[in-house]
Amino acid sequence: MGTSYLGSVFKSSLSQFEWFLPLNAIVLSLAGIALIYSATIPMGPTGKSFVIKQTAWLSMGLVLLALFAFLDYRMLERWGTWIFVILLLALISVSVFGRVTAGSRRWIDLGLMRFQPSEFAKLAVVIVLARSLSERKRGAIDGWMELLRNVAYALIPAFLVATQPDLGTAVVLILVAFSMILFVGLSKKLWKVIFGLALASIPILYFGAQYFLLDYQKKRLLTFLNPDHDPLGAGYQIIQSQIAIGSGGMFGKGFLKGTQNQLMFLPVKHTDFIFAVLSEEWGFLGSSLVLILFLIFMLRGLGIASRSRDDFGTLLSIGCVSIIFWHVTVNVSMVMGVLPVVGVPLSFLSYGGSSLLSSFMCTAVLASVSSRRFSYLT
Amino acid sequence: MVQFYSDSVPEDYYKSRVIVSSAIACLFIFFLLIRLWNLQLIKGESYDDLAIENRIRLLRLPPPRGMILDRNGCPLAENVPSFSLSVIPGALNDLPMLVKYYSDPLGYPPEKMRSMIDKSFSSPKFMPFSIKKNLSMEEVSILKSRSLPVKGVSLNTRPLRRYPFGKMLCHVIGSTGEISSSELEKLGRVGYRPGDLVGKTGIEKEYETYLRGEEGWEQIEIDAKGRRLASLTRRPSKPGSNIILAVDASFQKFVEDVFTERAGSVVVMEPDTGKILAMVSKPGFDSNIFSASISEKDWKSINSDPLRPLENRSIRGLYPPGSIFKLVTSFAALSEGLVKPETTFICPGELEVGGQVYRCWNQQGHGKVDLHRALVESCDVFFYELGLSLGADTMAHYASLFGLGKPTGLELSQELPGLIPTNFWKERNYGTFIKDGENVTIAIGQGYTLTTPIQLAIMTAAFANGGNIMRPFLVEQIRSPDGSVIFEQNPVVRLNIRHDSRDWDLIRKSMRDVVENRSGTGKRCRVPGLNIRAKTGTSQVVSTREKAKSPTDVPYHERTHAMFAAFVDDQPRKIVVVVVIEHGGGGGKIAAPLARKIICRYYGLPDPGEPKE
Repeated sequence: MGTSYLGSVFKSSLSQFEWFLPLNAIVLSLAGIALIYSATIPMGPTGKSFVIKQTAWLSMGLVLLALFAFLDYRMLERWGTWIFVILLLALISVSVFGRVTAGSRRWIDLGLMRFQPSEFAKLAVVIVLARSLSERKRGAIDGWMELLRNVAYALIPAFLVATQPDLGTAVVLILVAFSMILFVGLSKKLWKVIFGLALASIPILYFGAQYFLLDYQKKRLLTFLNPDHDPLGAGYQIIQSQIAIGSGGMFGKGFLKGTQNQLMFLPVKHTDFIFAVLSEEWGFLGSSLVLILFLIFMLRGLGIASRSRDDFGTLLSIGCVSIIFWHVTVNVSMVMGVLPVVGVPLSFLSYGGSSLLSSFMCTAVLASVSSRRFSYLT
Repeated sequence: MVQFYSDSVPEDYYKSRVIVSSAIACLFIFFLLIRLWNLQLIKGESYDDLAIENRIRLLRLPPPRGMILDRNGCPLAENVPSFSLSVIPGALNDLPMLVKYYSDPLGYPPEKMRSMIDKSFSSPKFMPFSIKKNLSMEEVSILKSRSLPVKGVSLNTRPLRRYPFGKMLCHVIGSTGEISSSELEKLGRVGYRPGDLVGKTGIEKEYETYLRGEEGWEQIEIDAKGRRLASLTRRPSKPGSNIILAVDASFQKFVEDVFTERAGSVVVMEPDTGKILAMVSKPGFDSNIFSASISEKDWKSINSDPLRPLENRSIRGLYPPGSIFKLVTSFAALSEGLVKPETTFICPGELEVGGQVYRCWNQQGHGKVDLHRALVESCDVFFYELGLSLGADTMAHYASLFGLGKPTGLELSQELPGLIPTNFWKERNYGTFIKDGENVTIAIGQGYTLTTPIQLAIMTAAFANGGNIMRPFLVEQIRSPDGSVIFEQNPVVRLNIRHDSRDWDLIRKSMRDVVENRSGTGKRCRVPGLNIRAKTGTSQVVSTREKAKSPTDVPYHERTHAMFAAFVDDQPRKIVVVVVIEHGGGGGKIAAPLARKIICRYYGLPDPGEPKE
């Protein structure tokens, strides 16, 4: 009796299993590995280790996917507070005893691997926000206290991340939180006040930025406003990456044939500027295909959000989709020179273990929500 | 009012918002696609021109590495240009010509030349691939005279690290080498690139951030094949800072030359400051072989040498301190009130503890000895008695006051802490407490006790400077390339040992008589006109003590270590010398004369030679 019941549950959860999103994620990650290979070849023999490591992380990502996707996402609702608290502690410990690379403390050394808690903070914020926003009655947020509480869930970790300093992740954290809050909606009363405050704060922000931004962050902002102002310093990245993208044309220069890439014009190209390598070597066709794959991923994710059996699942899915959405939008805009360079990796494609694993966790959460959309499944 | 919105929320509230969200996602991606279209297809051609025709390229200008100098400004590590011939595989046009004209001056047979070129094709197409590194000046002049129509070949210069004194001070200075992939992982984000030179060991490693300097860049125009057309603007690199050591190169050279034994260490230090004046560890290696990429053969011979020449024995050599430790035992016993200056024991030549017989080095026995005589003649039985009444933990307490059992804090990070046994340690590692028989051996610096030469120097210095445990240092100053001092080391007192001045004077007087008395074990260090205070040590490596054999009959690895610690503190320039000769024999016989020569050289006195028997 028991076995056949469990068997049927397993079977039905397998037949309901969300295959589409994971496949999409794997295709993007494999494309990423090919691009990292191309981007690191000019570094000589040391470049190979990047490809090997990314492949190892991809396999870890797949294991995580398999583990998480079969777990019930409602577990996250129960454990949400703890996950959030642990992440906060991890972020604080990074600022206390993290490793300093290039003047930033972002890493915790686990011996076997280093990991960047800030990458996982996004998911933790999504979980805690999804819980807090789904516990209330449906409908637009109307109370100030309620709004502030939810904003605080994002602002506290964002502040810790920004002090590391990792401005990019902090920006994404805030964008994700605002997307979720706006998804739930704000009342007209709140909108009016927020609009007023926003107008009033422009001068404060302007002067505040002069005091609080670090030198390199200021430089990046200035050069974004006018890249030619410092063509060899901070503007160099933007100009070179635009040349790389632009010279790709319709069909690209071919795999391993990008001159901008192979001649090492592009800095940090295997991490944040991987999209420029893609555009140069695969042209408009290749890069638009990748953007469309991302769009399909997001639309599928939004579909899962609307079909979820409960509000927690819906909001969780919205959060996961918006993590991917903002990474793609901010990264690609930055590479194309539409936004200042803030150091946001491109989900699935950029080199980096923490980023790849957290993207796969998002995929896993979405798959879990999708597989359990029918209430008869326990 | 607050309830207004939630009351009128429709069932598919979220469904409709998902649709709006999807529209927003589509809109953003659509916007990105338009921008992409705009960049790649509308403006594409102009960018294409930029990429293919004249392009601006940022060339890295590596900074000249700072120098390591001795206290008088004599360079211990400097940079010399090194030439290499490289090809850019993507730009080669005439292979037969290349082989024909270059194989001869490079000294390569044509087949080897061809195989090297084939190898270059599997490396990045537009990056220079070096065919031969570290060309001699002759080869360079021949190559320069042959400017040929072969494209894609270039003669490159890069700085090479050179250590003019070769093996001298090699463990302290350390070496440099090409950055490894694991170092690159750590340092990549601070601007290090594959192929960069980094400090691998010693001062070169510890002071990497100072020595490295700041990279510059040059904006150049190159064509599609990566050839240089013109230089546009440049920001020159900033050379690294110079590290100035407290060591005097000529003195160091003297100490290294006078040390003719196979293995061991010498530490010479200023007792009041902790300034290292000379530091020798033998055998050594020539740091220069690491600067050029080290050959397989050299690496094997260094790595498989049983005497381990890479090890810096001054900070990593672990030796039982032997009788030098009796200074600590004496101070402990006096401070604890266990002995008075007039307390005596009878030394019959051996002592039985727990059924085992522990011998004195003098088998005839010293007869009636007090502390002064026990130190001067290094009577073991006297200290066996002290060890029994003090116990291991009390001795360990006093040893730690003298800085034993923990690193001294020298700038070189691989320093070992040594070992001072306690009951806690013994219980954790062996499951039993320290027995009486072991207390006896600890008291004379044998058994589990292990110390490094630098620790012995710090310990000895305490008797010269009124009980201060100094932090030793090698680097006196760091100067930026323009000569301004950016760092200056001040002496650091880590601990002051509180002592009764009568006890202290007794030990100091005994150390004086170790050298002055005819029966003193250190009489071979006597220099007329200098008040040298010292203690000898002859530490055993195997437990049996058979006097019958003459030293040469004992196999090398079972011979005793010869140790000697001495200081002079009544001259304007004070000095502490610690000599450790691995498997050298007796401390008074082998190590003391070496210390004498070093001290004479330091004070510019003629060496009086061995005293006549």
